[in-house]
Amino acid sequence: MAAQAVDGTVAGGGPARDQAALHRRPGGQGPVRRFIGRHWYAWALTAPVVIVTLVLVGYPLVRGVYLSLTDATEANVGRTIGMNVIPSTYEFVGLKNYTAALADPEFLATLGWTVLWTAVCVTLHYGLGLGLAILLNRPLRFRSFYRVLLVLPWAVPAFVSAFIWRYIFSAKYGVLNAMLNAAGLPAVAWLDDPAVAKISVIVVNVWLGVPFMMLAVLGGLQAIPGELYEAASMDGATPWQRFRYITLPGLRPVASTVVLLGTIWTFNQFAVIFLVTGGGPGTSTQILVTNAYRLAFTGIRDYAGSATWGLLILLILSAMTVIYRRALRRTGEAW
Amino acid sequence: MRRVISAVAAAAALALAVSACGSDDSPKSAAPATSAAPADVTGTVTWWDTSDATNEGPAFKELIADFEAKYPKIKVSYVNVPFGEAQNKFQTAAQAGSGAPDVIRAEVGWVAQFASLGYLAPLDGTPAVDNADDFLPGPASAGKYDGKTYAVPQVTDTLGLLYNKELLAKAGHNEPPKTFDELKQTALDVKSKTGVDGLTLNVDSYFLLPFIYGEGGDLLDIDSKKITVSSAQAVAGVQKVMDLISSSAAPKPTIKDSYVAAETAFKEGKTAMIFNGPWSMSDNLGGKVFKDKPDNLGVAPVPAGSVKAAGPTGGHTYAVYAGSGNLDASYLFVQYMDSAESQAKLAGKLGLLPTRASAYSLPDASGSPVVATWKSVMETAVSRPWIPEQGQLFQPLVEGYQDLVSGKESDVQKVMDGVAQKYQGLLKGWSL
Amino acid sequence: MTIAAGPAGVGRAKQKGPKGRSTAASIALHGTLAVASLIAVFPVVWLLLTSIKPRNAWDSATVTLFDHPNLGNYAFVLSQTKFLRWLVNTLIVAGATTVIGVLLAASTGYAVSRFRFPGFRSVMWMLLITQMFPVAILIVPLYNLMAGLGLINTFPGLMIAYLTTAVPFCAWMLKGYFDTIPVQIDEAGQVDGLTPFGTFWRLVLPLAKPGLAVAAFYSFITAWAEVAYATTFMTGDESYTLAVGMQSFVSEYRAEWGYMTASAVLIAIPAAVVFLLVQRHLVTGLTAGATKS
Repeated sequence: MAAQAVDGTVAGGGPARDQAALHRRPGGQGPVRRFIGRHWYAWALTAPVVIVTLVLVGYPLVRGVYLSLTDATEANVGRTIGMNVIPSTYEFVGLKNYTAALADPEFLATLGWTVLWTAVCVTLHYGLGLGLAILLNRPLRFRSFYRVLLVLPWAVPAFVSAFIWRYIFSAKYGVLNAMLNAAGLPAVAWLDDPAVAKISVIVVNVWLGVPFMMLAVLGGLQAIPGELYEAASMDGATPWQRFRYITLPGLRPVASTVVLLGTIWTFNQFAVIFLVTGGGPGTSTQILVTNAYRLAFTGIRDYAGSATWGLLILLILSAMTVIYRRALRRTGEAW
Repeated sequence: MRRVISAVAAAAALALAVSACGSDDSPKSAAPATSAAPADVTGTVTWWDTSDATNEGPAFKELIADFEAKYPKIKVSYVNVPFGEAQNKFQTAAQAGSGAPDVIRAEVGWVAQFASLGYLAPLDGTPAVDNADDFLPGPASAGKYDGKTYAVPQVTDTLGLLYNKELLAKAGHNEPPKTFDELKQTALDVKSKTGVDGLTLNVDSYFLLPFIYGEGGDLLDIDSKKITVSSAQAVAGVQKVMDLISSSAAPKPTIKDSYVAAETAFKEGKTAMIFNGPWSMSDNLGGKVFKDKPDNLGVAPVPAGSVKAAGPTGGHTYAVYAGSGNLDASYLFVQYMDSAESQAKLAGKLGLLPTRASAYSLPDASGSPVVATWKSVMETAVSRPWIPEQGQLFQPLVEGYQDLVSGKESDVQKVMDGVAQKYQGLLKGWSL
Repeated sequence: MTIAAGPAGVGRAKQKGPKGRSTAASIALHGTLAVASLIAVFPVVWLLLTSIKPRNAWDSATVTLFDHPNLGNYAFVLSQTKFLRWLVNTLIVAGATTVIGVLLAASTGYAVSRFRFPGFRSVMWMLLITQMFPVAILIVPLYNLMAGLGLINTFPGLMIAYLTTAVPFCAWMLKGYFDTIPVQIDEAGQVDGLTPFGTFWRLVLPLAKPGLAVAAFYSFITAWAEVAYATTFMTGDESYTLAVGMQSFVSEYRAEWGYMTASAVLIAIPAAVVFLLVQRHLVTGLTAGATKS
C-alpha cells in the first residue's frame, strides 16, 4: 500500500491494481458521487463482515479497554437479580492495572514461555507443512491416500485430540510409557516434569497444526504456474534453485498470511495448554491466554485484571504484526 | 489481579463464622408443606444437575418424576451440566440475567461466592428450608452466608483412608494405620513384604488438607482474619507428605490426572492404601481386586497427625437463582428433593451420605453399605472456611504442591510462603 | 508478485513423473510420507482401539492393543444419550456457519485483494484484531450482548459467535489466494461485459477453489468442534452441540472414557467425510478454471 494515491485509484502493480475504475458506474457526476461510485462495490462487499464484527467484537473490546482502567470485579459491577440489588462501586484507577501486570514477575515469565512456544510451534508448523506439501504435490502413487491420512489430525475435533494426547502421555496407563517399558526403557514423566511437559504440549500443538499448514501450502503450490518450473528446468536450474526462486516466492502471498495468522493463533492457543496440562505442573506451561482465563474465570471474576491481560496480549500481537508488515513490505508485499 | 472485598463482605465472613457455630439461629421454616398454597403453584422449574450424568443422573430423574406426580401443575426441566463447567456457566448466565436455571446443584464451596454476588435467593421462611433442625450442622453451615440461608445441603462427604485388607494383612497389619507415623510404617511394610506400593498420593489441594489439619493447621483462620497456610503447623503437614515420598513409603505421585492414577493403582491391587471419598466406592468395587471380594475393601478415618485426625467437609447443595421467574415452584422442588425420604432414596441407590439426621434411620439409607461404612468416618470431617473467595484458594496451593512433587522446588516453607502471598492478593484486609 | 506477471491460462506443471525418479528417491519419498502418516494417524487409531474396549478398560495399568473388542460403548452412546439430537444440532450450526462463513469471507477477501478503497487498511486490521483478543475474555461481554438480543440458547446466536472467529481468518486467508489469481482475469470479465459481481462469482471464485475448500473446512471444523462458546451459550441440553454433550461423560471425579472415545470417533467421522468431499477441489483449482479462459 505504499503507493496508494490520494483518491485511492492505483496501488502498486499486479493483483493489487485497483479495479474500481473498471467497475465505475456510468454517469457519475460531482466529486462525491464519483467517490462513492468508485468505491461502492468494495464497501458493499466488506460491509456485512465489518458491521457484524464491529458489533460483536468491537463492543466487548471497547468495554474491555474501559474495564481495564477500573478496579471492576464481578462483585462490584452493579446489577439487579430478582430481589438482590448490587450497587455499582467500582472506580477508575487509571493505568494501575497495566503497571501492576507488567511489574508482576509472573507476567514476564509467562510472556517468555509464550513467545518461545509460539516461535517453535509456528516454525515447525510451517516447516513440516511445507515439506509435506511439496512431497504431496508430486505425481505419486497413493497420493490421495497419504493426503487423507495426513490431514486426519485436523478432522478430529481439537478438544478430542487434546484428550487423546493426555491419555497417550499418561504416566501410568498411557501407551507411550507402556511402549517404552516394553522396549526395556524407563518411563518418561511426559506431563509431570516442567521441562518435558513443555515439549509434550509443543508436540501436541505441532501434531494439530501441521495439517492445516500443509493444506494451505498445497493450495498455494497449485497456484504456481507450471511453466515457470519448465522454463527454469530448461535453463538448467537445480531443484534447490527452483525451490528457492520459484516455489518460495510463489508461495509468499499464501505463506505470509498463514504464518501471520498462525502466529496469532498459536500465541492464543488456549485449548491445547488448558486441556493437556492445565498449565501445570505448577505454572510451568501456562501461557498468557490461559493465565488471562484463570483471572477471568476462577471464583469471583476479575473483570479489570482479565481485560488488562487481554489488551496486553492484543498490544503485543499488534506490535508483532506491525514489525512483520514492515518486513513484508521490504520484500515487496503490500497491504 | 486484586480482589476488592468490601467491609460488608468481611463482616459477613465473621457473621458466617458465628452463625456456623449454631445453626439454630436461622429462622425456622414458616410454611409447612401441607399448607393450601403448594397445590396451586404452577410453573416450570429448570434444574441444573451437576452430578455424574451417566451413573447418578437416572436416580435424580426418578425423583423428579415422583415430584411431578405429586405436583402436576409444576413441570421440571432437567438439564445435566457437567460439574467442571457448571460454576462458570452459572456465573455467566446469572450475571447476565438470562439463561440461568431456577435451581442449581451447587458444590458446598460455591454457595458463599454465589450468595455474595447476589445470584441466590435467600431461602429462610420459604418451603425450601423444611425442618431445618434436622440438617447436620456441618453440611448446613455451608449453605449459610451473612446470617441467611442460601442453600440447603443435598449430600455430604469427606476423605477417608481406603485400604486393601489382604495387602495390609500380608504386611502384618490387621488394623489400618491411625496416625501419620503408622501410615508411613504400614506403607513401608507393604512395600517390603508384598512388593506393591504401600500408599499412593493424589496431588490435589483437597487431598492435602487432612495432613495440614492433622498437624493443627488450616488455610485460613476465619476468626482473626489471618492467612495461616504458611504457619508452622500447615508447613509441618505438607512436610509429612514430602517425607512419605522421600522415604519411599509412597512412590513419587503422578501429577497430571493424579486422581485417576491413584484410583487405578488401588483398584488393580498395585497399591495398598489411598485417600478418597464415599463417591469413589462404586468405582473401587468394580476394580479387579474388589469385584469378587467387596469385603477386601477397608475404609477408615484419615490417620491423625500430632494434633488430630480430620478430613475436609465436602458435598453439594440445592440453591435457588434469585432471578428465577418461578420462585414458589422452585422452593417446593427443593423441599421435595431434599426431604429425608428423597435423601434416603439417593443414599440407597447411589450411596450418597444424607445431610438430614432423620434420613439415616430410614431403611433405604440404613441398608446402604456405603452409608454404614462412611457414617463413622464423617465424624472426623471439619468445616471449611465458607467465604466467597474459598474457591480461589485451591489453585495456588495445588501449584505449590505440584512444584514440590515435580522437584522444581524443595523448600516447603518457601513454597507455602509463596502460596500465602497469593492468598494476600485474593483476600484484602487479611494478615499473614 | 512474480506470478501476476505471468500469463493467465496455464496447464498443470509436468514435473518429473514417477518414472523419472530413482528407486532410492522413491523409497525416501514414500518412507517419509509413510512415517508422517503413521504419526498423524496413531493417536486416532489409539482412540478407535480404546473405544472398542470394555467401558472401564481404559485406565488399566496393563496397556493392551485389544481387550474384548465390542461395540458396547457405541450402543450406549447412541441409545442412552441424546447423541443423535446433538448430532443434528451440530450439523445445523456447522453447516450454516460454513455456507455463510465462506460467502462472507470470500466477498470480503476479494474486496481487500482487488480494491484499494478508503478504509481498506482499517478492514485488514480489524480482521486481524478479532483474532488477537483472547476468546476466553470475549465470552462474558459477548454473552451479555447475546442475552440482550435474545439469542442465548439459540442456533443463530451460536452461529454468529462462530462467524466472528471463522470469517476474519478465512477472509485473510482467501485474500492470499485471490492475490495469486491474475488480475487480467477480472479485466477479461469486464471486457466480456460481466457485472462486477458476475466477474467475482463466475470467474474468480471457481479459480479460488483450493482456497475456498480450505476456508470451508476451516469454518466447518471451527463450528463442529468448538467448546467454549457452545458450553457457555447453550443452556438447555436439548440444544447442546456434540462437543458440549460429550462433556457430560466427564463428571466431578471420573471420566467415562469408554463412552467419550466412542463419541469422539462418531464425532470425527462426519468431519472426515466433509474433508473427503472438499479435498478433491484442492487439486483441481487453477487447472480446471484456467482452461476455460
